[in-house]
Amino acid sequence: MNRQRPWDCDMATVFSLDLLANILDRVPDPRDRKSCRLVCRGFLRAEELHRRSLRVLRLEVLPGLLRRYASGLECLDLSVCPALDDRSLSAALAAGVDRLRLRSVSLSRASGVGWRGLMALVDACPRLEAVDLSHCVGVGDREAAALAAAAGLKELRLNKCLGLTDVGLAKVAVGCAGLEMLGIKWCLEISDIGIDLLAKKCQDLKELDISYLKITNRSINSISSLGKLEVLNMVGCSDIDDEGLQSLKHRNNSLRSIDVSRCENVTSSGLTSVIEGSNCLQKLNVGDCFPELAPHFLLKLNCLKDSLTVLKLDGFQVSASSLKIIGLNCKNLAKIGLSKCQSVTDEGISELVASCVHLTTIDLTCCHLLTDKALMAIGDQCKQLRCLRLESCSLITDKGLEYIGTCCSNLEEIDLTDCSITDTAMQNLSRCSKLLVLKLGLCYMISDEGLVHIASNCRKLHELDLYRCVEVTDDGLAAIATGCKLIRKLNLCYCTKITDRGLKHIGHLEDLHDLELRGLCHVTSSGIAKIAIGCRRLSELDLKRCNLVDDEGLFALAQYTENLRQINISYCPVSGMGLCMLLGTLKCLQDVKLVHLSLVPVEWFEIALRASYEKLKKLKLLTGMRKLLSPLLIEKLQLRGCRIRWVDKPPAAC
Amino acid sequence: MDSKQIPIFEASSSGGDQARNRNQNHQVNESNSIDICFDARSEQSLIKFSSILDGSSNQSYQTPQFKMNLDPRATLNNLDFLEQKIHQIQDIVRSTLNNEGRISTQSHEFAAQQQLINTDLTSIIIQLISTAGTLLPPVKNVLANGVSSVGQIGSIPDSASNLGPVGTSQQKLDLVSEGTELSEYEEFINGLGDWDDEGIKSMSADDNDVKDSGDGVNGENLPPGSYEVLQLEKEEILAPHTHFCTICGKGFKRDANLRMHMRGHGDKYKSPSALSKPQKEASSEPVLVKRYSCPFVGCKRNREHKNFQPLKTILCVKNHYKRSHCDKSYICRKCNNKKFSVMADLKTHEKHCGRDKWLCSCGTTFSRKDKLFGHIALFQGHTPALPMDEIQGQGTSDQGHNHEVTTKMEDAHDLFSNNAIGVTNVSDFGLAEDEYGFFSMNIDSNFGGIDGFQ
Repeated sequence: MNRQRPWDCDMATVFSLDLLANILDRVPDPRDRKSCRLVCRGFLRAEELHRRSLRVLRLEVLPGLLRRYASGLECLDLSVCPALDDRSLSAALAAGVDRLRLRSVSLSRASGVGWRGLMALVDACPRLEAVDLSHCVGVGDREAAALAAAAGLKELRLNKCLGLTDVGLAKVAVGCAGLEMLGIKWCLEISDIGIDLLAKKCQDLKELDISYLKITNRSINSISSLGKLEVLNMVGCSDIDDEGLQSLKHRNNSLRSIDVSRCENVTSSGLTSVIEGSNCLQKLNVGDCFPELAPHFLLKLNCLKDSLTVLKLDGFQVSASSLKIIGLNCKNLAKIGLSKCQSVTDEGISELVASCVHLTTIDLTCCHLLTDKALMAIGDQCKQLRCLRLESCSLITDKGLEYIGTCCSNLEEIDLTDCSITDTAMQNLSRCSKLLVLKLGLCYMISDEGLVHIASNCRKLHELDLYRCVEVTDDGLAAIATGCKLIRKLNLCYCTKITDRGLKHIGHLEDLHDLELRGLCHVTSSGIAKIAIGCRRLSELDLKRCNLVDDEGLFALAQYTENLRQINISYCPVSGMGLCMLLGTLKCLQDVKLVHLSLVPVEWFEIALRASYEKLKKLKLLTGMRKLLSPLLIEKLQLRGCRIRWVDKPPAAC
Repeated sequence: MDSKQIPIFEASSSGGDQARNRNQNHQVNESNSIDICFDARSEQSLIKFSSILDGSSNQSYQTPQFKMNLDPRATLNNLDFLEQKIHQIQDIVRSTLNNEGRISTQSHEFAAQQQLINTDLTSIIIQLISTAGTLLPPVKNVLANGVSSVGQIGSIPDSASNLGPVGTSQQKLDLVSEGTELSEYEEFINGLGDWDDEGIKSMSADDNDVKDSGDGVNGENLPPGSYEVLQLEKEEILAPHTHFCTICGKGFKRDANLRMHMRGHGDKYKSPSALSKPQKEASSEPVLVKRYSCPFVGCKRNREHKNFQPLKTILCVKNHYKRSHCDKSYICRKCNNKKFSVMADLKTHEKHCGRDKWLCSCGTTFSRKDKLFGHIALFQGHTPALPMDEIQGQGTSDQGHNHEVTTKMEDAHDLFSNNAIGVTNVSDFGLAEDEYGFFSMNIDSNFGGIDGFQ
């Protein structure tokens, strides 16, 4: 390794480190960066110094990476790192212990990490400011106590840490008094007492998520003493009512965003008092609270005239006149959510968009009454539109999408799931060359022709959903694979005309991360092998009910898709050998669904699971397996933080 | 003065007779209507009655008192009065004993009635003491002052005056038809100087629950000399038993228990008079308030102390002495930590020990979570303690357990991943088909492979 190649020195003298850093600033694509660092040692060194954030996909590289990037690294994402536990984390941190400057660490879903690992983390990273432990369901008070030692902590996400109680929260509140952001969504053990202490100890809180907690108005009263609070999310707090919201009225108006959706006992009058209290509110989410908007609430929106940009009214009975008032009062609205507001009419939308010309996101999911007239109004007024959701608006036609296609050239995302549109609509939409997300699920009339239109112009497309577009064939996929090279997420479930030939084309999509091939009855193992070889970055794959995919397909996956994290092979005719190969070899595999593998004997199940128990985080098995697998294995899986879902499904339902 | 007092004696004696008649018939319910009047009135109104009985009018009898000191006849009259009153009390107690068997059926009514009896007794005893006080110059002023000041608070309610002296006393005796606890009654006499409930409770408490603060007479402010100070010796205080059976020598803590015990020694001990509390021969002497001194010199409860605060009862003395000047020999069997010198304290603690599961990092325990959190909110740096922090020994054992688990998992790891099935390293697979080629070398030179990071 010490051999000095002549050009190493040359390159290093030509480009100084800061110059290289400047260049690297302009190279966002990870593949390009990789090419860069493979040029020579000097470039590698520059990349080492320049890199600030790192997302680790495999455990074995973690210590080496930390050693290499320790000097500059600030953000470390270990959320998908498989088999991470206390020991491996401590060992990896010890590798770069003297120099670590980490500010932010994500351990979301790292179910193997407990308080010892966190203590090592806090010890090793004196500058730690943000930690994400969301969805680590095993995390409890002891882990919170370990985190509390990080006195400089500003952001902490503990969503769905089911073991966390008031005691753990108190530990954090006392230990990290400078906390600015805290998420304790779904920490169901937390009560008013804990929230009260939090509000007393962490006066700097700017963002707080207390969704789905069993807390009462008393908590809101405590929270109202937080003078710097800007964002308050309290989704689904059904014990809180208007009286609680009234206590927010008398605080200073630092609040910028509040989410009270699904709070069943909140009514218009409670919201009115919130608006009165905080007249700089920018985001207001009141979805699914109460059925009808009272006039005094609509009039109060006038107080937020200049500030309000996001308004979500999911599930309300919103009349045309209400929408008109909203439009007149909130001219700066950028995003509006009217999902499941079934009474919304064309007239209402026209009134709304006539005033709110800056709208960028319009969610009209399940507004069944809307027709092309609404789309015409949107196309006419909202030139900046970027996201339009029209799922289940069954009355809209190709004609309506023509307005969107021609007028909204900035459109990035459109959801047309379950709309009766044809290939003509695709032709119209293909004018939106910035399109990133296209959802065409259940649009039975879409065929290859439509996909060809899309592929011809929407070259940036990231996500394509063709769920049950039964007319789509291999040719359509060929067009997509040539035209939309950047696709990361592709859903081809139940497009039953697709064969191995189509998958071969898909195999050319190098960026593909997430592929769903559910119920493709003509696809065989050779098609899967093509995918495995071509899409090396694949991390999620759904092969449920692919009746022809057998062991060969799994072998190919085991061999090539190193980063595969999630797989569903339920109902596939695979044998024990294939299963063992898959589970034993793939080091990143964390989420496996293995329902009704009728050809796999229980012993092979046992062996396969024992080979992978360290890394599995989620497992779906038939209820019957519970008695057949050894209790020790199940215990071990659960000890590692793996959640097993036992399902009871009929064997051959199609 | 005489002319004023004599009718009263008659009245009270006749009242006593009537009461006896009543008791023979035992129609308690007949007195219900009167009960209500009594119930509505406070103790103070009873005290007013006493002043009526003494003086037949609202006129203050401080002046006669001074005269009495000079007049032997008046003294004699007073002594007569005392005698009468003592009889009256004896009647009440006896009637209580007689009625003991019948109470159980009407326990609800009994409770209400007993309260009234207590107040009745109180009023009679006040009369006793106020008269007795006139006989003894040093005590007189205090007691007489106390009573008269209360008596002067307001005019007598009409209903009360309508009843007249005869009616009142009759009534009293009616009400006394139900049983009172003898000990309580006696304590009343002892602790007459203080009217607060606490005093009564502490005296009647059997389980020595009284804490130090309740021991003394804080706030009572009896002027020095207004009470007699007794001092028990250390041995006396610590003696487990104070009452011994003269026949078999068995010791008892309480005289009542001894009396119960005596029944076993023959029928002669079963008579009501043998079982009832022996009456103090106090009829001829004034009852002097008794207070107690702790034998420990230098203690604030010792009479030598310049800010001497006397103890109220013998029980208080015992508890105080054990708590303050004795070893704490009772150790809690649950926590093996807390020590007590009074058994009852230990029992009280054991009732709650282990239930104080809310522990602060400073070591303070709380039985309720909100109390702990209130404490934490108040102090900087205090946090709730986790179970592990609680006791070090437990913590280490916990770690040991975890270590065991991890080693078990290590073993399992060896078993599963190395032996059971070969976990094939990807790099072992042929590079032939892999168009990217995979170098399982240093990550730095990982040209074609998929990165392990983003």
